[in-house]
Amino acid sequence: MIGGDGIWARWFRTLTCLFLLVWLSLPMVPLAIWSFAHGWFFPDILPQEWTLEAWRHALSDKSGVLDALWLTVGIALAATALSILIGVPAGRALGMHRFRGKAVVEIMIMAPIIVPGIAVVLGLHSVFIWMGLTNTVSGVILVHLIPTLPYVILVMAGVFANHDPAFEAQARSLGASAFQTFRCVTLPAILPGIIVGALFAFLVSWSQYILTLIIGGGRVATLPLVLFNFATSGRNDLTGAIGMLYILPGLLILLITARQLSGCAGAVGGLGRV
Amino acid sequence: MYRHLKITLMLLPALAVLGGLFLGGLFLGLMRSFNYMPVIGLTRPSMDAYLAIFSDREFYRSFLLSIHISFTSTLISCVLAVGAALLLRRLHLGRTVITFLFQLNLTVPHLVGAIGILYLFSQSGVFARLAAEMDLISRPAEFPALVFDPYAIGIILQYVWKEVPFIGVIVLANMQTMGHDYEAVARSLGATRWQGFRYVLLPLIWPGLLSASVIVFAFAFGAYEIPALLGAHYPAALPVLAHRKYTDVDLAARPEAMALAIVIAVLSAVMLAIYIRISRRRNGC
Amino acid sequence: MTRVVLDQLCKTYSGAHGAAVSQLDLTLDSGTMTALLGPSGCGKTTTMKMIAGLLDPTGGDIRFDDRSILRDAPEARGAVMVFQDHLLFPYLTVAGNVGFGLKMRSVAPDEIAHRVGEMLEKVQLPGLGQRMPGALSGGQQRRVALARALIIKPDVLLLDEPLSNLDAHLRMDMRDLIRSLQAETGITTLVVTHDQEDAVVLADRVALMLDGQLRQVGPPRMFFRRPVDEATARFFGGRNFIPGTCRCGVFDCALGPLQLPQGARTGPGRVTFRPEALRLAASGNGRNTVRATVTEITYLGTQTRLRLMSNGTEVEALVPPTDADGLKHGAQTLIHLPVPALWVID
Repeated sequence: MIGGDGIWARWFRTLTCLFLLVWLSLPMVPLAIWSFAHGWFFPDILPQEWTLEAWRHALSDKSGVLDALWLTVGIALAATALSILIGVPAGRALGMHRFRGKAVVEIMIMAPIIVPGIAVVLGLHSVFIWMGLTNTVSGVILVHLIPTLPYVILVMAGVFANHDPAFEAQARSLGASAFQTFRCVTLPAILPGIIVGALFAFLVSWSQYILTLIIGGGRVATLPLVLFNFATSGRNDLTGAIGMLYILPGLLILLITARQLSGCAGAVGGLGRV
Repeated sequence: MYRHLKITLMLLPALAVLGGLFLGGLFLGLMRSFNYMPVIGLTRPSMDAYLAIFSDREFYRSFLLSIHISFTSTLISCVLAVGAALLLRRLHLGRTVITFLFQLNLTVPHLVGAIGILYLFSQSGVFARLAAEMDLISRPAEFPALVFDPYAIGIILQYVWKEVPFIGVIVLANMQTMGHDYEAVARSLGATRWQGFRYVLLPLIWPGLLSASVIVFAFAFGAYEIPALLGAHYPAALPVLAHRKYTDVDLAARPEAMALAIVIAVLSAVMLAIYIRISRRRNGC
Repeated sequence: MTRVVLDQLCKTYSGAHGAAVSQLDLTLDSGTMTALLGPSGCGKTTTMKMIAGLLDPTGGDIRFDDRSILRDAPEARGAVMVFQDHLLFPYLTVAGNVGFGLKMRSVAPDEIAHRVGEMLEKVQLPGLGQRMPGALSGGQQRRVALARALIIKPDVLLLDEPLSNLDAHLRMDMRDLIRSLQAETGITTLVVTHDQEDAVVLADRVALMLDGQLRQVGPPRMFFRRPVDEATARFFGGRNFIPGTCRCGVFDCALGPLQLPQGARTGPGRVTFRPEALRLAASGNGRNTVRATVTEITYLGTQTRLRLMSNGTEVEALVPPTDADGLKHGAQTLIHLPVPALWVID
C-alpha cells in the first residue's frame, strides 16, 4: 500500500464493495423466492403467499426431479472416475518428462477447453448413432470426457511438475517395490491434486448441457435438461427449487476446497466453463 | 527406448479418448458438412451446405450477433474484473467475503445464472416490479426489453455476472504473486498512481488477463443454453441456429448445421492459437 | 545535496506485536553514504521504505533539508529506492528499464535514448540496452537497477541490500562501483545491509539497528574498538566479555589486573577485546600478559582460532597460522592483551 488514502477513497471502496456483494448474489435471490412462492404475480414485490409446494413436488417421486438428480450424480461420478484413471498417467507424462511432440500433445489437450462442445458434438452424433451409443447413459458419460479429461490432465501435470522423482528413487533404493513405491510414496504426494482434479471434473460434467442434449437425445434427462424445460415452460416455482438443488454440489465442493482453491489461478481456470 | 515406451503408454489412453472423441467429432462434422459419408452411401462431396449458409442473411446476422455477444461481454467483464481486483487487493475484511462469493459464483452453472437473470430483468421480473412500485411503469410491456431482445443485453448481463469473478480471481491471483513491490519501484522512480497502473501493473497482468479473455470469448461464442434461454428468436446466436438446423425435420438442413459447427470450430481454433501464443510467451520459450 | 533527518520515526504494523521501528533519530549528512546495519527483521528496510514514501510512519517526522516530506507522494520526494531483488520490469528491455523514470517525467524519446546510453556506460554495461532483463546475470541486473535509479538524478538514493546474493568476486566489483558512483555524483545515500563487512567498506558512517532501535551511530572503526554494549560488539564479531571491576584505569578480573586505555569507564563492568587483537607472547613479564592453556585449535585457512583457558575463564583468539604452529591441545602459553584493544562495557 503506497501513500495514504483519503476518506473519499475509503468510502468509494466500501460502496463499490457493497455493490459487488449485491450484484454477485442478486440473480440467486428471485430463484430462491420463487421456490417458496405460491403465485407471485406482477407487480408484487414479494409473493402474497409462501408455500413449500414446489419443494414437496420436486422432492416427490412422481416429478422425476430426484431421478434426474441421481442420474446426473451418477454420470458425473463415472465421468470423473474415468477422467482420473486416464488423466493421472497422462498428467505425469506431461508434468515430469520432456519428449518429442510434447507441444502437439499439449495443444491436443488444451483444445477441448477452448473449442465449444457444439462444434464437436454434432459430428460425433452420427458415429454414436452408428455405435448405438446415442440415447444411452454410457454414451453421455463418454462424451462428458471431452471437457472433463483436459482439466484433470492439466491439474495433474501441474502437480507432477512440482513432484520430485528423487523421493521415488529413494524409496526404491530403500527396498520398496514399484507398486509399494506408488502406494506409499507417489500416491500420498499427489492425492490432494487428484482430489482437486476430481472435484473440477465432477463440476464440469455436472454443468454440461449441449453434449447431454445431443448425445442423450433428450432420453437421458439430467438435471440441467429438466431445469431448462421447467424454465422455458413457465413453472417458475419448480424452476426455483430445482435451481437451488442444482447449485448445491458446487457449494459443498467449494466449502470443502476453499483453502486449496484460494490463490490457485490455474485450477480456477477449470471452473471457467462450468 | 524403454523411456519412450513408458511415456507413450502413459499418454495413450488420454490421446485415444481425446483424439477419438474430440478430433473424431470435428473430422466427422467436417465430412458431413461437405455431405460426404461413404459409409451411408454419400460418396460425392459438395459445397452446397456452405453455399447455402453463406448466401443466407440469417447466418450473417447470427454470426454478427455471436461476435457482438462474446466481444462485448468479454470487454465489460475484463474492465470490471480488473477494477474489482484492484479494489479487492486493498481490502482486508471485505476481501475474504468477496473472494468467497467470487468462488461461489464460479461453481454456479451458467444455466442457473441465466434463469436468475431472466427472473430479474424480464418484463415481469424483479426490476420491472420495482419500476412499477415507483410508478415508473404501469404495465409489464412498458419495461424495456432486456431479455429476448435483439441486442442480447440479457445474455451479456449473464456472461458479465458469471465471468467477472472468473477473470477477477485469475487477475487477483496474478496481482498477489506479484506483490506491491513493482509498483513501489515505479512510484519511487517517479511514476504517478495512474502511471504505475498503466506502465507497470497492466503490462504485468496483461498475459493472464488476455488468456482468461480468450477462454471467456470462446465460451461466450460457442455456448448454447444461455442464448437459447435468454436470446431473441431472430436473429439467434450461432450455436442456437446450428442446433435448430440440426433438429430440423428437413434432414437436408443437417449438413448446414455441420457447416455452422465448423465455422464455430474455426473461430475457436483461432482463439486457441492466440491462447497458445500467449502462454508460450509467458513461459519464456 | 540533501541532508536527511529522521526525527523520532516510528512504525507499528497493524496486528503486529511491538513496533517495527521505534523512535528512530538519524541524520544523513549531505553528500555522505550511511549504512543502516542490522540482522534481518530489525526494521531497516521498513525505515528505508518510509523515507521513500512507500510506507506511512505511525509517528515522527522525516525532513529533507529541514522540510518535512511526509505529505509528499513517493514520486515527488526526490528519494529513489533500489530494491533488494532489483525488480527489473520483465516486459521491458534493459534500455526501457533504465529510461523508465525519464519516461514518467515525459522526457523526449531522443533525450531518453541518449541518457540511457551514457548511464549504461557508467555502470559498465555498454551496448546491452536491447537485451531483456531475464537474459542478464545477477550482477548485471543489479547494475541495471542502479542505473535505473541514478538516471533520474535523485536527491537521495536508497539502496536495499545492494550486495546480497552476489558471489565474492562480483561483490567486490559492485562495492567499488557503488562507492565510485556515489563519490562522483555526491548523492546522499543510505545503504541497508545485514553484512557488517559491506557496511564498513561502503559507508562513511554506520548506524547499527537491533530490534527496531538504533544502538550506535558512528564511523566504522568505532564499532570494532569502542562498542557501546555486548549486542553491538557481538554483531561485529566480538567474543570475549569478562566481568570485573575497573578502578583507576586498571580492570580487576579473573585474568588478573589489566591496564585499560584512557577514557574507559570506571566501576563494575565487563572488559571486551576482539579475538584478533590478542597476541601470543614469548615472555611473561610484559603488561597485560597472562598464562593460559590451549583447549581447542581450529585451522581456518588465513587464521587459526584458539580457545584458551586462563584461571577458569575461556578466551577466544584468532592468530596468524604460523604463530600457532608449535601449539598442541593442552599446551601452556602466554597471551598478551594490548592496552588499546581493551574496552569496558556494562
